[in-house]
Amino acid sequence: MKNRFVASLLAVLALLTMTPVFRMIAADQQEFRPPSGPAPRTASGKVDFSGVWQKPYVPDMTKDGKDQKGMSELPFTPWGDAEWKKYDAAEGDYTGACLPFGMTRSVNTPEPMQIMQSDTHFAFLFEQNSWFTVVPIDGRQHGNGIPTWFGDSVGHWEGDTLVIDTVNFNGKTRLDTIGHPHSDQLHLVQRFSRPDRGHIAYEVIVDDPRTFTRPWKNTRNFTLRPDWQIMEYSCEENNKSLWEGRIKVPKYVK
Amino acid sequence: MKNTKHLMIGAGFIVAVAQPVAGHHSFAAEFDANKPVTLKGSVTRIEWANPHIWVYLDVTDDQGNVQPWQCEGGPPNTLTRNGWTKDSLKPGDQVSIDGVLAKDGSKTCNARAVKLPDGRSVFAGSSGGDTPPPVKR
Repeated sequence: MKNRFVASLLAVLALLTMTPVFRMIAADQQEFRPPSGPAPRTASGKVDFSGVWQKPYVPDMTKDGKDQKGMSELPFTPWGDAEWKKYDAAEGDYTGACLPFGMTRSVNTPEPMQIMQSDTHFAFLFEQNSWFTVVPIDGRQHGNGIPTWFGDSVGHWEGDTLVIDTVNFNGKTRLDTIGHPHSDQLHLVQRFSRPDRGHIAYEVIVDDPRTFTRPWKNTRNFTLRPDWQIMEYSCEENNKSLWEGRIKVPKYVK
Repeated sequence: MKNTKHLMIGAGFIVAVAQPVAGHHSFAAEFDANKPVTLKGSVTRIEWANPHIWVYLDVTDDQGNVQPWQCEGGPPNTLTRNGWTKDSLKPGDQVSIDGVLAKDGSKTCNARAVKLPDGRSVFAGSSGGDTPPPVKR
């Protein structure tokens, strides 16, 4: 009797595994496998980072996670420590107000980003709030523009590693969701390499002498998602939390 | 057909737990993680728009009065990639929402879990990817 019950159960389970829905569940539970092979190159022989990339969500850059190695103890200056301790998102949350996330937080979000690259430019197309930032990689130096949310970026090659160097931030952003601070003296270095077709090895180095006593970094892996497209993300469309007064716009001191 | 639909929703849930459903803003700016709430009621409307979906429901309080509540969910882009659609929850559905209350005392919550009477969950995850809120050092 018991055996018959077990046999029936196994038969039902076997039938279930043949259903498309079950196969879909099984496939979904497996980790996504990106295309394999060597890193592609542009016609001029440079590593080509173009594609839609899945990034780990990093709301706190001091923490480790899947595809993310954080910096556990931040080397704050007294100014940086005071900025961190007094931060309260309830008193003003610029991302909640749909103001630009800035470079580090745009990369920190779980929403994917697309990279488009030519011999002269490297473009970050962030799904988060549909922002973009374009980086000249043709050897030019930083300009003298007004300070901005994403800063002024230029890139250069160190072998097969593309190094993006950014300065001239307006100092109105935070490094991550939890609110780690930086100043307008932030100098950000992002290092991109592509060990294989399916992955980017990413390093972000935070160098800000007003906020930190020495530079520190996070290292991450991004995964190529040929099955994804960047979707439109209108932050302002239904930002009820702001217009119903539950989120405040920060007051920036000029 | 009905069973297939249930399984499809189950499949969506499995995908949903695989990816964080994060919001565009700091969770702590709006919600108080120390004020959990469970709301049971009837869905009246879904807003499927960035930066967050909102689920509206009528909840009958202890005195028998019907109170309108609103609960924030994840961004529709992420939910869509995780297999959900606007029609995964419909007006008239009876739901139980586990969430946390807004700091301002309004009838607003951040939904951690939205459950149907048969135990299925929809729109898994909350908008507060950075929860619990930071403990300042």
